[in-house]
Amino acid sequence: MGTRFEVVVGGDDEVHLRTAAEAALDEIALWDERLSLFRRDSLLSHINRSAANQPVRLDPDTFALFAACRQVSLASQGAFDPTVAPLMTRFGLHPDRSDSIAEPLIGMQHVILDDSARSIQFTSTEVALDLGGIAKGHALDLAAACLRESNVSTALVHGGTSSIITIGSPPGCDGWPIRIAHIDEPFTVELRDAAMSISSPTGRMLDTEGESHGHIIDPRHGAPSRSASLAATIGPSARDADAWSTALLVLGTLPTALPAELTAMVFSGDRRLIDGPLVSTLLRMSDTPPMEPEPCLTSTVAPS
Amino acid sequence: MSHIDRRSFMKRTGGGIAALSLAELALAAPPQTDTPIRIGMIGVGRQGRAILAELQKLDAATVTHICDSDERRLNAGVRRAPEAKPIADYRALLDNGAIDAVVIATPTHLHRAIAIDAIAAGKHAYCEAPLAGTIEDCKAITEAARGAQSVFQVGLQARSNPVYQLARTFFLSDSVRDLVCLRAQRHRKTTWRTPGGSPEREKRLNWRLDPEVSIGLAGEWGTHQFDVFHWYLDRYPVRVRGGGGVRLHRDGRTIHDTIACDLEFADGAILQYQATLANSYDGRYEVLYGSNAAIKLGWSHGWMFKEADAPTQGWEVYANRQQFHNDEGITLIADATQLASQGKLKEGVGLPQPSLYYGLEDFVRSIIEGSPPTCPADEGMRASVIGILTNQAILEGRTLEVDESLLKGH
Repeated sequence: MGTRFEVVVGGDDEVHLRTAAEAALDEIALWDERLSLFRRDSLLSHINRSAANQPVRLDPDTFALFAACRQVSLASQGAFDPTVAPLMTRFGLHPDRSDSIAEPLIGMQHVILDDSARSIQFTSTEVALDLGGIAKGHALDLAAACLRESNVSTALVHGGTSSIITIGSPPGCDGWPIRIAHIDEPFTVELRDAAMSISSPTGRMLDTEGESHGHIIDPRHGAPSRSASLAATIGPSARDADAWSTALLVLGTLPTALPAELTAMVFSGDRRLIDGPLVSTLLRMSDTPPMEPEPCLTSTVAPS
Repeated sequence: MSHIDRRSFMKRTGGGIAALSLAELALAAPPQTDTPIRIGMIGVGRQGRAILAELQKLDAATVTHICDSDERRLNAGVRRAPEAKPIADYRALLDNGAIDAVVIATPTHLHRAIAIDAIAAGKHAYCEAPLAGTIEDCKAITEAARGAQSVFQVGLQARSNPVYQLARTFFLSDSVRDLVCLRAQRHRKTTWRTPGGSPEREKRLNWRLDPEVSIGLAGEWGTHQFDVFHWYLDRYPVRVRGGGGVRLHRDGRTIHDTIACDLEFADGAILQYQATLANSYDGRYEVLYGSNAAIKLGWSHGWMFKEADAPTQGWEVYANRQQFHNDEGITLIADATQLASQGKLKEGVGLPQPSLYYGLEDFVRSIIEGSPPTCPADEGMRASVIGILTNQAILEGRTLEVDESLLKGH
């Protein structure tokens, strides 16, 4: 996933905490190996190579990921769409890949998910998937499940600081304080047993044909998204938060189909709130930097 | 360079490296059958679950049952393979006539009983490596597999890995020339611990840290890498020595988290091996140094580094190259012909599937086509014995001679 993941866990037994954090990071590394577009031996590369020729059988966790892709794509009317992969390559966002699809088919209608056979198939060889908008969240959900299974009751896991999942809260706090910056009025969110995702096109900038643009491509128009400067989503699932923050950045507004369990905000190009609640019970406006939690342990991994 | 194999190989191929055309290096097609092999998975810890994921890609196989004596692991296995029936006791699985084959991915010290029972039940078996935790257990399994009608394959994956197979072809064809020395390492920063929940489960799951049953880094990791050299050289070390200690994880463990050892061959060539749980730099690799070139193998990737005075071969003009600081490596690409014809040679760098997949594919192919397993029990036994002896040499702090009788069956 090309980013740095970090786990912060709290408790008394350091040996146990380190072991549990390591298991969570192993889970993330496993999903990085499986979902990477840049590894020839990943499951995603296998799907992109084979799914046009025959259905590819999937395990339940991977099938659930693709089912979530289908759901968010449908609800966002294509603003989130993993079939955007060939366009990403065209815009230079896959610098290590030299393959290209001349006339790509964009849209999840070209991806057949068979719920009973638990398989995925493409309608054409002109289809390819990029899970960059959801893979981090998926890995975080499963990493958090690992931590819970190890009876960890205080934890924060993040991928590249833009996708975060929390368990419980640090000692003396109501939640894990997370500061959202790069907007007109920065504020702090306190997360407790919740996930959050931030999407912004400025996270990575590229120059194509003399024009500077961000790394989020609008699948509907085949061009870099310019609708908003930042989208933030908070909800129980890091996977859904991740996919929806990408969709909202492309949409530039909150659609009626946004799931009720998600709290979301979209900010304009001049960094002002376009859509979403100013403050909810989850949010605390603040001009001061958040408290720094005192972790008993920090472990890191940076899958390439 | 193997004194035996080079001559016979050259005779077979009718020359040296120039006889190796890219056309010879295509990946094999997956095995096909109308009636998929019904597999029972025994042991669904981390490695067992990785195996499940790779078996799912094989149309010629279907996992019908999963077995683990640990209830939580069994449940985790069921979540990943809901169609498979869960069984706690492996003997019930072996009694089931509707299972053709088993994959044994339990802790190493538990392999013996399961493998021998599986062979006795007439099941084809893929047994993870090392083959067992003691020399006696290794020999007992090998003895049981000898003469059995069923396939028995040991999970020393390098022998099925297309990159390693390709590199071996180059090695045997004289491109490395006179063997100078050998080196391998595995570095990974990890505690090697698994969270257990209760002290009893903690001890059971962390068998690799249990001095009663663990064969340490040399046995658990080294065996896989030592086997690469056994396979390439067609010979085994005559003496082993080494040392180790707990350099980072001072959590009460006695199993070394860092080791260094020498495995010496009869002609004086030495394999230097280092493994650590305290640092991850440069990961895992094996290198064979020759007077004409060095071959470096990195599991999914392989490279050849030629000496300036080594003869130039025609095929090199097609080769993909990678820079490593001051050296340029020629990438060894397993399905180069097809990719070159499509102008996609660069995309062929690295394997199209994880290495584990090829071992399982070969196992299923052996069952369907009756072909010999890529790593039969006696090869698995010999590699495991070397791993066990090296661990013993490290623990005892002395040089151990490898008695040839130890590498033979009973």
